Amino acid sequence: MVAIASFWDERKLLVFVTLIIVASIVMLVELDAARHGDRSLPDQLITSVIVPVEDALTQTTGAVVTEIRTLAHAGTLASDNATLQRKVQELAASNERLKEHAGENVRLRRMLALAQTMPLQTIAASVVGYAPEGTRREITIDRGWRDGVSHDAVVLDGDGLIGHVVDTGPHDAHVLLIIDPSSNVPAFLRDTRTWGIATGTWQHIRMKYIGQDVKVRPGDTVITGKGEIYPEGIVIGTVREVDRKDNALYQSAVVAPAVDFNGLLHVLVVRR
Amino acid sequence: MTVDSRALDRLRPEGGARRADAVRPQDAEVFVPPRFWALLLVAVGAIIVQSTLLQPLSLRGAHVSLLTILLVWTGLRCGVTTAGLLGLLSGAIEDALGSGGVNVLATTVTGLCAGLLNVRFFADSLPVFVSAVGFATVLRGLVTYIVSELALGVRGSFHRASHELVWQCVLNCTAAALVLVIERIAGHVRK
Repeated sequence: MVAIASFWDERKLLVFVTLIIVASIVMLVELDAARHGDRSLPDQLITSVIVPVEDALTQTTGAVVTEIRTLAHAGTLASDNATLQRKVQELAASNERLKEHAGENVRLRRMLALAQTMPLQTIAASVVGYAPEGTRREITIDRGWRDGVSHDAVVLDGDGLIGHVVDTGPHDAHVLLIIDPSSNVPAFLRDTRTWGIATGTWQHIRMKYIGQDVKVRPGDTVITGKGEIYPEGIVIGTVREVDRKDNALYQSAVVAPAVDFNGLLHVLVVRR
Repeated sequence: MTVDSRALDRLRPEGGARRADAVRPQDAEVFVPPRFWALLLVAVGAIIVQSTLLQPLSLRGAHVSLLTILLVWTGLRCGVTTAGLLGLLSGAIEDALGSGGVNVLATTVTGLCAGLLNVRFFADSLPVFVSAVGFATVLRGLVTYIVSELALGVRGSFHRASHELVWQCVLNCTAAALVLVIERIAGHVRK
């Protein structure tokens, strides 16, 4: 009894209870701010100090890694250069063909009297860091509301959709990745034009609520459907496996994301 | 009552006096706890390294948590108050950097519980430190999971969370062992 009494002496108990109460209050304030897409004042102060340090560290590390890779692959640079030149020629040729198709597309749209979709205006941003403990799949980018980044702005890169902005500071913003379980994106299968909802599963995406009568095949491309936040037509990923049960109302599919979320360096933020 | 030392020597077996000299305690090393601001600075450094440099390094989706190791180290050496306060502040910093409020309670509880071990165990024992880091990782993961489920409405992530927790335990325990070995080597070099 004496040991227990000393173990839980009054001072220790007071510290214990006080700190847990303070932590709970901080947690509630943070959760409330996150739910409303805001940032509390302490958060703004902390991010304004730490994000520039993260940015500098990421840039320096990136530069060092690039130099090391260049030195390691110095022998193959000449052959790589020749290959790339060939590729550029091929791409230039295919680009010309695509321009022809684009022109034809515009004419067809006019003929069908469809609304002319404006080209997306984007802001280039660098990835500064990830959520420290991986408790949420989030990244921090080095552009904030002063640069035109707004809450719910869509973020993508050359490969496809990355996520959307959940809160912004003056010079930085947090982006919730589409692989986070709290992310829901309206999606449809490009070939069959079938709707569903793409929800994150930490590593991949699951496309839910696909009708039972739809034939879904591995390799099918999944793209965004027009929703409150997302514009349509951005690639989400490709179907990896299909989960279909006869007694279920809907079938679902595991989708491999088009973007490699572990190697993000630069992203584009769509202006709203 | 006074005891004649020569009489004691006579009672000892041969060489007893010399052996007694040999086992006489050496100059005991007194541990001076680091200042709180220094610990906080190390915690901030650990968080920045975790969110940038260590991000690409993962084992089956799990990342090493330098902050958990630091909290256990602080708890074992400095006690409940310091470790709890460090957990509170570092958790708030982690949440500000993009976790939406799920970390602060977990880090505070981890720091407080690690601080309770301060009076129970030897802080520089490798098995004690590594086991404490293992338990702290599980405790922190559990609190984070509960907060995520209740507050963020992230359902059905137990399988994934437990899977990552096991691997994070392995990573953290290995890193903790390395930290203690490095600390000991540094101590020997200083001597």
